[in-house]
Amino acid sequence: MDDTLTDTPHAQELFMFLAATAHDMKNSISVLSGTLERLLDAKAPEGARAALALSDPAYPQMAHMLYQTKRLNDNLMQLLALYKQVGTPAYPFDMQPLLLAQLVEQVAALERVLLASRGIRLELDYDPDLVWHLDEDLIVGVLSHAINNAIHYTGDVVRLAIREVDGWLELRVEDNGPGYPPALLRAGTVAARDAAGGVNFLTNSAGLGLYFSSEVAKMHRHRDRRGEVRLENGGMHGGGCFVLRLP
Amino acid sequence: MNAALDPATLAAASAAPAASPAASPAPAASPAPRPAAPEPIDWADKNYLVVDDFVGVRQLLRESLRSLGAKNIDQASSGGEAVGLLARTRYDVVLCDYNLGDGKNGQQVLEEARVRNLVNPSTVWLMVSAEKSVESVMGAAEQQPDAYLIKPITEGVLLTRLNRVWHKKQVFRMIDQAVFEKDTLRAAKLCDAQIEINRAHEIDLLRMKAKLLERSGEPARAREVYERVLEQREYQWARAGIARIRLANGEFEQARQAFQNVIAENRYYIEAYDQLALAWHNLGKPEEACAILERAAKLSPNSVQRQKSLGQAALKLGNLALAEKAFRKCIAIGEYSITKTPDAYLGLARVCGQKNDPKEAQALLQSAQREFGHEHPDLELRAKITEGLVWHESGDYRRARKAGDELEALLASGAERPDSATCLEMATLLFAVGVKDAPVELLCWVVRNNHDNPLLVDEVQKIFDKGRMGEEGVALIRSVRKEAADLMNQGVLLWKTGKLGEAVEWMRNARKATPHNQRILFNAAQILVSHMQQHGYDEGLAGEAHEVLHHVDRLLPGQQRFAQLMEQLAALKPVAQGAIEEVA
Repeated sequence: MDDTLTDTPHAQELFMFLAATAHDMKNSISVLSGTLERLLDAKAPEGARAALALSDPAYPQMAHMLYQTKRLNDNLMQLLALYKQVGTPAYPFDMQPLLLAQLVEQVAALERVLLASRGIRLELDYDPDLVWHLDEDLIVGVLSHAINNAIHYTGDVVRLAIREVDGWLELRVEDNGPGYPPALLRAGTVAARDAAGGVNFLTNSAGLGLYFSSEVAKMHRHRDRRGEVRLENGGMHGGGCFVLRLP
Repeated sequence: MNAALDPATLAAASAAPAASPAASPAPAASPAPRPAAPEPIDWADKNYLVVDDFVGVRQLLRESLRSLGAKNIDQASSGGEAVGLLARTRYDVVLCDYNLGDGKNGQQVLEEARVRNLVNPSTVWLMVSAEKSVESVMGAAEQQPDAYLIKPITEGVLLTRLNRVWHKKQVFRMIDQAVFEKDTLRAAKLCDAQIEINRAHEIDLLRMKAKLLERSGEPARAREVYERVLEQREYQWARAGIARIRLANGEFEQARQAFQNVIAENRYYIEAYDQLALAWHNLGKPEEACAILERAAKLSPNSVQRQKSLGQAALKLGNLALAEKAFRKCIAIGEYSITKTPDAYLGLARVCGQKNDPKEAQALLQSAQREFGHEHPDLELRAKITEGLVWHESGDYRRARKAGDELEALLASGAERPDSATCLEMATLLFAVGVKDAPVELLCWVVRNNHDNPLLVDEVQKIFDKGRMGEEGVALIRSVRKEAADLMNQGVLLWKTGKLGEAVEWMRNARKATPHNQRILFNAAQILVSHMQQHGYDEGLAGEAHEVLHHVDRLLPGQQRFAQLMEQLAALKPVAQGAIEEVA
């Protein structure tokens, strides 16, 4: 796998073309989501959200557009990462020490408008002064994808809980929706166990997200331990739980 | 961290007014995440520059900044336009897209802004990109922005990142100031002090400290710091740091293995490639070194410096095709880069000479002088050397001799001599074309300024041998070395016998005879410091010592004696009332 992707002149050209196109698509998505966030924010001043959402039929539609735009962005980000061979030394992995306060601040800032537009509460439970070593862009990508997903299926709350357990950092995204279907739970078990098995569930975008998350988790290594991802039902609110563990 | 700091602007920038809490919208999520630092910053009164080639993104970012309260927002749609605006206005915050279409890219805009001092040390530079870029991995680019942001950027993300960068800059401000004053040992101590009060930045501070200790010629202490980091986490930069120390210590094989392991773990840790090439070179394997540089250039193709090193390594090996490709690429990417260099033109001219195309070589030498002559005073000389080599290598001995004569005339017209490497190159050429006196004078000059550097002296002897002057060379080298040693010893003797005034005067004259001799320069600085330690601080002597030390540091950076003398010198200076508070 070494330099094959960029070795031949043709592959090099293709790579440049893909990079330029991805750049362009990201610009479009930026404008889309930025504009939607601004419109949603303007329509929903603090406190009047519920009333407005009921009275203006465009409001939930815009909220749904924002959700779909975020999905589009997540998928594009995951495809790009896979194309750059995330999970292998070929990916520009960049581990840094980070305060949990800063990590959570970042994720909450990304999700704020979408959560508000759906009237969903984000519950946070973490030690802000804890420092962990991780690739921030990748982990923020994994968490915001998990939260976007939870927003779609939950009742009215999404919980992000982070704590240290036996030298691991356990990050949980929980909701109070109906929980994951059995097929996805099985895929989650495979993802937790082995990357090679991941190919089996690469049949839809849920599979893509799970595969991406588990590759990201595995890039995080410390001594003999590697990060892992698993899905379960239950948790604090009895819905789906996405669990990311980093050494 | 920023190496180039301007203390005047530092004080001004830190005087941020108290913030208005209304500027930051409260997150709707509940409970609100606790901000990383308690005191809020007023982002409303700052000057902003937004650089993106896509008008939609510019508008979006401008709207986001406006909702933070920002009033002064300038925009640029290309790298060239951005540099124009940066030259006119001092911005507090720059949001710059990495990918700017044709012309300069974001990294090149950043490099130019920093090198030309168009931004303050306090300026927050956020690099925006569509995806994770190779340059964002540490070690790929010399100039790093304060943060990389990946699109899409929402208002909330922008604010959190601005705040975070601002607070980190506060943590490093005093350290950067000490680095700016070249007092690296004080800077390293300040790192320790900051670690005590900023546990969250411990790893970053340790990294800075280790680098500073390396730069201060304290490899053993630097290594301890790297090992302390590795006890916590497997950071590849710490592994690379230890490998670098082993390389400097002559443990080439161990260093080679360590750098290869770093690359195996993270293929984009580009700095490790340069060091690995150096290790191969020291192991006597220039082909391997060149192959590694080629791999690095492929991964990070837009680095002028990297293409230049590759071209030079390939030229030395006689791999003309590779050298030509690298030099041409170097010239092409240099078009938009502040780091562009005449070396690529000179190198390519050599390639042309060896390919029997002296005509293009001449054209290249002319454009090099036209483009770089004003900022590189030694270029005329270097171009003339290259011209002589080109004629010589393409077999035109008559023209080669003519270039040699012109070179001799150039040397006779000025007392200034270029660096040792250029002098040796010149002497080799002059011998080859049949000139005698000028190369002998040059070689003696090199020995006089490096009398205690046996490797260089050996090289000089070899050039004498090649010029069929082996025996004369032995005698000349012996007498010149003795002359320099005597010059130094007499000064040291005066110093040791307490005749400090005479010692200072003696060393001034010694420096005139051997302006680039590091031993003599260090001793001159030492004697100046001793004088002030015994007879009190003197602004004139302190300035002289600074001048001497900065000159040695330019000749060979990272020496222990430099760091120690800088620290002693700084300690002598009477503390100006309020100076510290003003910066803090």
